[in-house]
Amino acid sequence: MKLRIILSLSFSILLTAVFINACKKTDTAAAGPFTPTLLEFKIPEGWPAPPTNIFANNPLSEEGFQLGKKLFYDGRLSKDGNFPCASCHQQFAAFATLDHDFSHGFNNSFTTRNAPATFNLAWMTKMHWDGGINHIEVQPLAPITAANEMAETIENVLNKLKADSAYPNLFKAAFGNTDITSQRMLKAIAQFMGSIVSSNSKYDKVKRGEAGFTFSEQNGYDFFKAKCETCHKEPLFTDNSFRNTGMTVNPFLNDFGRMRITNDPTDSLKFKVPSLRNVQLTFPYGHDGRFSFLKDVLEHYQARIQINQPTLDPLLVNRIPMTNTQKFELIYFLNTLTDTTMTKSPRFAQ
Amino acid sequence: MKTIKFTMICFFSLLLVSCQKTPSNTEQKTGTLKISFKNLIKGAPMQISTGAYTNGFGEQYNITKFKYYISHVVLGGLSATSSNDSYYLIDETNAASLSFSFDAPVNTYSTVSFLLGVDSTRNVSGAQTGALDPLNDMFWTWNSGYIMAKMEGVSPQSTVVNNKVEYHIGGFAGANSVLKTINLSIPPSLPVLTVNIREAKTSEITINADFDKWWQGTFNLKIANNPAVTTPGALAKSISDNYRTMFSIAEIKNY
Repeated sequence: MKLRIILSLSFSILLTAVFINACKKTDTAAAGPFTPTLLEFKIPEGWPAPPTNIFANNPLSEEGFQLGKKLFYDGRLSKDGNFPCASCHQQFAAFATLDHDFSHGFNNSFTTRNAPATFNLAWMTKMHWDGGINHIEVQPLAPITAANEMAETIENVLNKLKADSAYPNLFKAAFGNTDITSQRMLKAIAQFMGSIVSSNSKYDKVKRGEAGFTFSEQNGYDFFKAKCETCHKEPLFTDNSFRNTGMTVNPFLNDFGRMRITNDPTDSLKFKVPSLRNVQLTFPYGHDGRFSFLKDVLEHYQARIQINQPTLDPLLVNRIPMTNTQKFELIYFLNTLTDTTMTKSPRFAQ
Repeated sequence: MKTIKFTMICFFSLLLVSCQKTPSNTEQKTGTLKISFKNLIKGAPMQISTGAYTNGFGEQYNITKFKYYISHVVLGGLSATSSNDSYYLIDETNAASLSFSFDAPVNTYSTVSFLLGVDSTRNVSGAQTGALDPLNDMFWTWNSGYIMAKMEGVSPQSTVVNNKVEYHIGGFAGANSVLKTINLSIPPSLPVLTVNIREAKTSEITINADFDKWWQGTFNLKIANNPAVTTPGALAKSISDNYRTMFSIAEIKNY
């Protein structure tokens, strides 16, 4: 009798286990668990949080970052293989094109604007000089498909990636299976590009109490805070706004900037305020690269602003008076914004 | 012994009950709603490339591409509303795209509404997939945003290269937004006047889309004046004010 009771109870316990198992959802399907190495996006000390979390719908992972980096340096994203993203966005030039007013594109063509330096993008609300791009993920569509840049179709790019021996597994590592889609490609590139942060210049070290400005740098910083800070707002050194700084219209380009996007005449000749971080490395300057040296930019603000332009920024109607000494000191200060930690980081290198 | 058996039966009954989905009173019974689009010119089926058409201004044209986004389909009218937030790209050159189906709550409906286009949120939310994949050639790469409706063709009245006619209508923000909510009622002349969604059954709404409406309405779109409209702005907005009237319910079927 006792034996029967024990047997019955054992049987019921076994059945219970079976039932409980049957109740479970099968969430670990045949494909195996997907466990990307999630990364934390670190906001530098004292910096504001990005206006939106660009990784909210694109969880940042080591695998996604590495896939994005490989795509960034891969010439096959362009029609003839010669123009990876990195051909115009060079790490040693703070991800701008060194010493080029216009960058080179497919079939010996030129771009029509100076390649912007692409760092601290997590804080950038709109991309491009005219702000036409509203999200970091969709930005690569523009250079990849532009006839004078990478000149390729998204369909061809995806076909090249699918035919490659390495990419399917890299997409699987980053996104869970080997499907290669435009959305995944763009999200991977966004993970890499959005991770590039420049926050370790001499200026940053001074702010953290790890270094001190020289006498000239300090004078330059004081002048900067008095005359430049409104638009080139610290710590990002841009306020992400669009402004007309009174440059003459280049007759070859007839580029009216933000108005092309908004169709609003009050936006005529307005361009994005660029960050001044790494400005020592991002010459030439201006949306069309017309200023070869920093001193040319300062001379523009001092004496060449076209004050008769109706959309000229109100802050510039009196130009910016400055002495030669102030110019030198300002340049000394601007040179403290160079961040070789970023420009030489193996993490961002090919 | 009897006690043991009784205990075991009780025990297993409990287990079985615990395995069941918790029944809830809010759980809706659903049927299938199929929505089909018929693209027309002046009431006749659109013939891509081969059809020779004339607009109200006597301008001749043909059509090589005709596609538009439909989203946020809402059934409503009598006593219930059912919203479906999927996105569909209707493309006249792709027969499979001309109809789509989704589950709708069991009820009787007499109106349908939908957004012609892609809502502003999706225009600013980064890389999308499916119908919204940029591979569908309905996304502007230089001024982020979707082309909500697109027509391409050729006309002798066009003054641009190769006599092209191109209307890429988009823009989701501000005064020049081309987003249109289309509200359709079932015309009283139809033999079936309600959409009766029943469990495990399919109902079908056939909607006509007459491209001829693009030319005239609140704005006179003349090929000679505007052979190409490919940017967001006031012109695109004016064309969208015309094309919002191109839809009508053609037929209801409750299978």
